[in-house]
Amino acid sequence: MNAKLKETILNPIFKGNPITVLVLGICSSLAVTVTLKGALVMALSVIVVTGISSLILSLLRNTIPGRVRIIVQLVVVAMMVILVDQILKSFEATYAIDKQLSVYIGLIITNCIVMGRIEAFALGNKPWPSFLDGVANGAGYGMILLIVAFFRELLGSGTLFGIDILNRFGYVPNNLVILPPFALILLGCIVWVQRSIQKDLQEK
Amino acid sequence: MNTNNNVYTVIYTTLIVVVVAALLAFVSQSLKGKQDANEKADTISQMLTAAQFGTKAEFQKIGNAAVLAKYAEEIGEAFTVDVNGNKVADLPLDKVFSPKELKRQNYNIKGGANKTGEPEIPVFVFKNGKTVVPIYGAGLWGPVWGYIAFENDLKTIAGAYFDHESETAGLGAKIKDDPAFQAEFIGEQPDFSQANVFEIVKGGAPAADGKSLVDNKIDAITGATMTSQGLDAAIDTWLGAYAKYFQTAAPAKECDMPCCQDGGECENKEVEE
Repeated sequence: MNAKLKETILNPIFKGNPITVLVLGICSSLAVTVTLKGALVMALSVIVVTGISSLILSLLRNTIPGRVRIIVQLVVVAMMVILVDQILKSFEATYAIDKQLSVYIGLIITNCIVMGRIEAFALGNKPWPSFLDGVANGAGYGMILLIVAFFRELLGSGTLFGIDILNRFGYVPNNLVILPPFALILLGCIVWVQRSIQKDLQEK
Repeated sequence: MNTNNNVYTVIYTTLIVVVVAALLAFVSQSLKGKQDANEKADTISQMLTAAQFGTKAEFQKIGNAAVLAKYAEEIGEAFTVDVNGNKVADLPLDKVFSPKELKRQNYNIKGGANKTGEPEIPVFVFKNGKTVVPIYGAGLWGPVWGYIAFENDLKTIAGAYFDHESETAGLGAKIKDDPAFQAEFIGEQPDFSQANVFEIVKGGAPAADGKSLVDNKIDAITGATMTSQGLDAAIDTWLGAYAKYFQTAAPAKECDMPCCQDGGECENKEVEE
């Protein structure tokens, strides 16, 4: 694998993470990080949507009329989101989790990461790098989601993936952690950690 | 090729929208059966949970097929009643009411512009004598619904299970997620003689020795006032609609009980078995 492709994949995971550096997709990362299971399903859904819609639009990129390109992008992304939602609803194993995530699966369409990567990358690159870029950005988003969900489920419910961890030691779940503002506090802490490691992100 | 040409743009967008629409329609049609089956099994496990045949988590673990089998084994009869408590029609034993159907009946009960007909609300009677009825209403962010099970005296609540579409996780969502809240209903007796059939009380229901009195009041959920009020209203509306049924059907059931204990009906049953 050449260096440029490697950069395409690794950059969104850490150095150019869509949530902590580009600050996109904040809204859903507040909403679906109450449990790890929910965050995991959401992360995988976003990876599928960003990856495949980047691929499709990259394949179509030379035929799309410039003036309506946003509309064409929206149609393709919306299609992917509806497909993911329909498929999650169809399996016994994922039905309950789809019900729990409810509107947030549908709201992936408004997740700025998807449209952002299509505009910034897929429309100007070949299909394979575009697909990888989409997947990597979805993964970067998913990683932050899982970190936030880890702390929120552990401290807010005393469990991880629904398995009791802290409650057996008499831990009283903290209601504040369950509420969205705490996700914002956690996100702030993650950004803080990243910026102290990665000095070039700090504004002079 | 000039992709900014007007004709090209119109044709291109039309084409892409038609292709996407056709694809989605096809997928939606081909997955509909599976999705309905999931929803039905979910509804049935809610009813079974309300009637205390197990917990929702257990039913989720055993899978759809086992849930349907359990229901087929336990259900005695199912029928619809009107607001006067008269039986309208028998329901097939594998028929349940989806949240969508409950919503329609909710409009019928409440009246107004969305009313499509007279209410025909379902009653599910299990073989062990428990009667399960649904409730439906508006929570804070979206609909809330659920099932309340009654003992065979048709007065005492045997259990309850509630579900919601989008109540706040950790607060309003407790109507579904907190078994302790649902357990509060057990043993309470709704007052069918008044409009305020049941009350979810903010600030604490009357209690003695740390236990809630046997009345029509339970504690609301801390931090979820709006959801508690919405659920309260939903229960009042639906149990209000069932009030006549519960009041008129109750004596008949009570008469059945001694017969059964004397051995009249039960003896026959034992012979059959």
